[in-house]
Amino acid sequence: MSALLATDVAAVQEAVRAGRPLLPVAGGTQTATHPDPAGPVRALDVSGLRGVVDYDPAELTFTARAGTPLAEIDAMLASHGQHLPFDPPRLGEGATLGGAVAAGVSGPNGFAAGVRDFVIGVRFVDGSGRLAMGGGKVVKNAAGFDLPKLMAGSLGRLGVMVELSLKVFPRPAATATVRFPTAGLPAGLAAIAALARGPVPVSALDLTPDGAVTARIGGDAGLIEVRAERLARSIEPRGEPLAPAAESAHWEEARRFAWVGADERLVVVPAAPRRVLALDADLHRRGLHRRYGLAANVAWIAWPQAEPAAELSDLLAAQAASGVVLTGPPLPEPLIGAATGGAFARRIAAALDPAGIFAGSAPAAGGAR
Amino acid sequence: METADLFTELRSLGLGERLLTGDAQLAAFGSDALTAFHQRPLAVAVVESAAEVAAVVRLCHRRAVPFVARGSGTSLSGGSLPVGEGIVIALNRLDRVLSVDPDARTAVVEPGVINLAVSAAAAPHGLAYAPDPSSQSVCTIGGNLAFNSGGAHCLKHGMTSNHVLGLCVVLPDGEVVDLGGDSTEHVGPDWTAMFSGCEGLFGIAIEATLRLVPIPESVRTALAVFDSLERAGDAVAAIVGAGLVPVAMEIMDPLAIEAAEASVSPGYPRGGALLIVELEGEEEVVEGELAAVEGLLRDCGCAEMRTTADPDERALIWKGRKSAFSAVGWLSPDYIVQDGVVPRTRLGEALREIERLGAERGIRVANVFHAGDGNLHPLILFDGREAGAVERAEELAAEILALCVELGGSITGEHGVGVEKREYMKLMFSAADLALMEDVRAAVDPGRLANRGKMLTPPPPAASRSAAAA
Amino acid sequence: MKHEIPVEELGVRGPLMADPIAACVHCGFCLPSCPTYVTMGEEMDSPRGRIFLIKEVLEGKLEVELAQPYLDNCLGCQACETACPSGVRYGELITEFRGRVEPRRRRPVAERARRELALRTLPHGKRFRAAARAGAVARKLRAAVPRTVRPMVDLLPERLPPARPLPCRFAAQGERRARVALLAGCVQQQLDPEIGWAAGRVLARNGVEVIVPAGQGCCGSLAMHSGEAEGARRLARRNLAAFPEDVDAVITTAAGCGSGMKEYGALFLGEPEEAQAGALAGRTRDVADFLYALGLAEPPPALACPRRVAYQDACHLAHAQKVTAPPRRLLSAIEGLELLEPAEAGLCCGSAGIYSLERPEVAAELGERKARNLLATGAAILASGNIGCLTQLQSHLARLGHPIPALHTVQVLDRAYSRTL
Repeated sequence: MSALLATDVAAVQEAVRAGRPLLPVAGGTQTATHPDPAGPVRALDVSGLRGVVDYDPAELTFTARAGTPLAEIDAMLASHGQHLPFDPPRLGEGATLGGAVAAGVSGPNGFAAGVRDFVIGVRFVDGSGRLAMGGGKVVKNAAGFDLPKLMAGSLGRLGVMVELSLKVFPRPAATATVRFPTAGLPAGLAAIAALARGPVPVSALDLTPDGAVTARIGGDAGLIEVRAERLARSIEPRGEPLAPAAESAHWEEARRFAWVGADERLVVVPAAPRRVLALDADLHRRGLHRRYGLAANVAWIAWPQAEPAAELSDLLAAQAASGVVLTGPPLPEPLIGAATGGAFARRIAAALDPAGIFAGSAPAAGGAR
Repeated sequence: METADLFTELRSLGLGERLLTGDAQLAAFGSDALTAFHQRPLAVAVVESAAEVAAVVRLCHRRAVPFVARGSGTSLSGGSLPVGEGIVIALNRLDRVLSVDPDARTAVVEPGVINLAVSAAAAPHGLAYAPDPSSQSVCTIGGNLAFNSGGAHCLKHGMTSNHVLGLCVVLPDGEVVDLGGDSTEHVGPDWTAMFSGCEGLFGIAIEATLRLVPIPESVRTALAVFDSLERAGDAVAAIVGAGLVPVAMEIMDPLAIEAAEASVSPGYPRGGALLIVELEGEEEVVEGELAAVEGLLRDCGCAEMRTTADPDERALIWKGRKSAFSAVGWLSPDYIVQDGVVPRTRLGEALREIERLGAERGIRVANVFHAGDGNLHPLILFDGREAGAVERAEELAAEILALCVELGGSITGEHGVGVEKREYMKLMFSAADLALMEDVRAAVDPGRLANRGKMLTPPPPAASRSAAAA
Repeated sequence: MKHEIPVEELGVRGPLMADPIAACVHCGFCLPSCPTYVTMGEEMDSPRGRIFLIKEVLEGKLEVELAQPYLDNCLGCQACETACPSGVRYGELITEFRGRVEPRRRRPVAERARRELALRTLPHGKRFRAAARAGAVARKLRAAVPRTVRPMVDLLPERLPPARPLPCRFAAQGERRARVALLAGCVQQQLDPEIGWAAGRVLARNGVEVIVPAGQGCCGSLAMHSGEAEGARRLARRNLAAFPEDVDAVITTAAGCGSGMKEYGALFLGEPEEAQAGALAGRTRDVADFLYALGLAEPPPALACPRRVAYQDACHLAHAQKVTAPPRRLLSAIEGLELLEPAEAGLCCGSAGIYSLERPEVAAELGERKARNLLATGAAILASGNIGCLTQLQSHLARLGHPIPALHTVQVLDRAYSRTL
């Protein structure tokens, strides 16, 4: 079915009120979360809802329409020495702000800073066609339910976001990266635990299944080399700082998830350090490409498109883990593995989308089953 | 008769003597830290296990009895004010830190754990729990997460909801649900964050998985005096504008300083508005940032400055700051503490306007606030024994909140709406926004039993989705 | 906190209750400091809760009998005053309220008898010694002793040390730097007369002339803090007469006595002796506080072998008199002495005047908790500044099988000076 186009809020409301299943889409980079063109659910293209509404660099906040490309926001923030600290994955040219929030996952440089921590306000159209607002434009706000954070990870299933307010942080003037030649996953996990608690705060902490650890720091240019050296020496065996060109290339590639093959899907699975070993054993058995990021708080898994996502879902469910499939052909249910939210999720989804407009299957119902 | 039945049933859940129904007992539980409101509940259930919480809630649901969860009763917005025909579920005995995972930097705690006790349990591992409400020596994690509490050090670290990874909650019908998990990442809508800050309307958390942060290698605190609040506010904007992220930036005016000195003698430099800036991190980095901050403070016309790394001195500085609200008890028999937020670039403007509004009414206003976040805490001083004084103070409070919203801010940064600011919700939110929140609440709790009367104004009988959707 | 107490009807003493209630903002900062809240975990057993209950009673909204059990639970340790950011004088409030309610109170006969027995025995040396002898007998016949009196029997020491009345004067050694009058203390004189001697010797060694006025007696604190205001005034009048005005300070060695004497002003509010009582209160100083302010003429000699000493704040010294640093600094002046701080230092040990007699279960729970915290420091000696606490702690340390010596701060100094520590 062809996509519906909405270039203003009224059009979004009208499309929703028509009462037929639909799902918002924009940049087209997180394709697994899109409706199947051959299926009954229509795509509502909101990429026309774009543009920055408000940005005062001194305030460290901005408000933009949901379809605004991330590239535009990156450039705007960079020109004032700021950035999105959660480093949303850049999976293609068209990635948008709304898509980044809807996916709700951090990129490799988002250590200690989840997407939800930076979404401070949202305007969205709910399943009844109501335009509603949650949160606000200030960094601290405890008035009303925290709908902005609820939208982080909602995949468009609880409403169509039309405008978002975010807080941002200053971008470090310089960065450095240290690679640790740790051997074996247990040693790598131990290294990560030590580095994450160490005296040098890191902004990224990646782990490959062979145990190698890559850590990144940011800050003042004058001190960066000394600090990198200190970080390198802070554990045994010591690490080696990467050359500046290599380090920026490394992270540029990492945030694009270039290591995920063209015939694979990127699946994001929240983890915890103590659960990584068991999970990795299963993934290894399946011969999957994978990496662990954010100090082993997440597993990034490349799942062959040729294989049914349900198999991975079962594997995760057996580990009491959940995941979101971001790329590859559309899936009826991109949330896989163990269900989260239970009755709480069902009830809130029923309030926001009583007729089941958004894909007819709220993730709240939990799991890919 | 019916009440007696209810009591019998509650006691039979194993509460026995822990069901409090005596007049004196109920009177003591009638207020939290906002004594403008007082309401004796029907009974207080002092629970000792998560299972008891669920059992009591299930019973309340079955008998359509409203319930209010309470920890240490320190809400400044009347967040744990009892409901007259309902019961209070006292969670303060559920005070165990169940586990600390130093490698993952997480702790699993019960809701009655005192905020500071989490940091105490984490300290041997070089970790701490970051959100630090001024009442952190008393307030409990359950209350913190129900009201998404903030604190001085939230400027860098974020509010409570940024530090809650997972929850086990009892929904208002007694169903127990797990939300989130033990990772800093999550997939699907952030149910954990949605529950955080719900002011108890979605039920009661019985277990929380919290994120811990490493104790920094170095902490430096600068005290700077300015001849006006506005100048101190400008210095805050300059520091933020320079790309520095101090862990805390607080401002106190002379009246607030006077109160703090009377209370705990922190020995603040006197003579104007005080700005406290705290930096933390690696030794060399903090040194460099401190030098930059000092330069900016001077450029902004700072009259006097002092910095310290001494833990005892820092503890006293923060004790003074964190005692400031209650310390105002030294200066005035009564006060209203407000919690408005403005965009931080408009701090100076907001402070000037608050001063004007106070002067207009002849009411003293003390200011002590989280300047880095634009989170104002004007303390409106009055003597409740004077005729009309309460009303005049409340009028001023309302004007200040309206001012905050007008400047693009919020009616509450960290104390929550509670009963106190319910009526002000419509300053910030449209009828449709509020109707949506009410729908969400009603979907989770059709009987509106959980913490009834907080955050949302009870809907008129005819209010419904159709009216809101129009 | 706003209140509707008819202050005028309460007379000249009304503000002693109305002011703390007005100053309380109900913030709850006192909760974790309160021994009964910490152990019982219910709002009405917290300082904030009690203040509210007193307010309700004074406003006529609550029957006093209903509030009484929770007010009785209060140990009067005043830890809440230390924790209070609003400057609420809780001690004055509870003392005044108790003093107002007690005379009209109908206590069960056995309970009243125990109270009378305690208040009429403890302050009087001879009666106390007679009671101790009777107690030794009673202990053997414990089962036959009425339940209400058993805690008293349990608390009496196995054997009292021989009586050693203090001399009427300790002459200053070297240049005279000050002249003070010493309160001998009634219970302390019986349970551990060595403390008074140690205080006299240490002060004298530091150039202080110490006189021990004849005619002095019990300070009245036990009675005052138990709601027996009239009895307390009776005792205090003797001291008003006995203590001279031409001294630099009136020195107390028991924290409870010191805090009680400092409250003489409030005790005699509206009485003819008000001014005189206020003056005596103003001259009263704890021995450690006075000595530290004066400065040691010379520190004790270095210890031959190092000693680990845990210092335990007496509530009536730390919370009521706000004296915390001086005893610690004095002890730290002894080279070779390692000063240790127990966990939960601010929490009452449960002794609290006659509280341990009236509420033995609570007192025992707190005593054991305190003893465990002290043992956890690994100290070989325990120091504190109040005879009640020392007795309570010694008893609980012994019960846990670790009878480490518990000494008054001046005893530690005295032994260090005489190289016998």
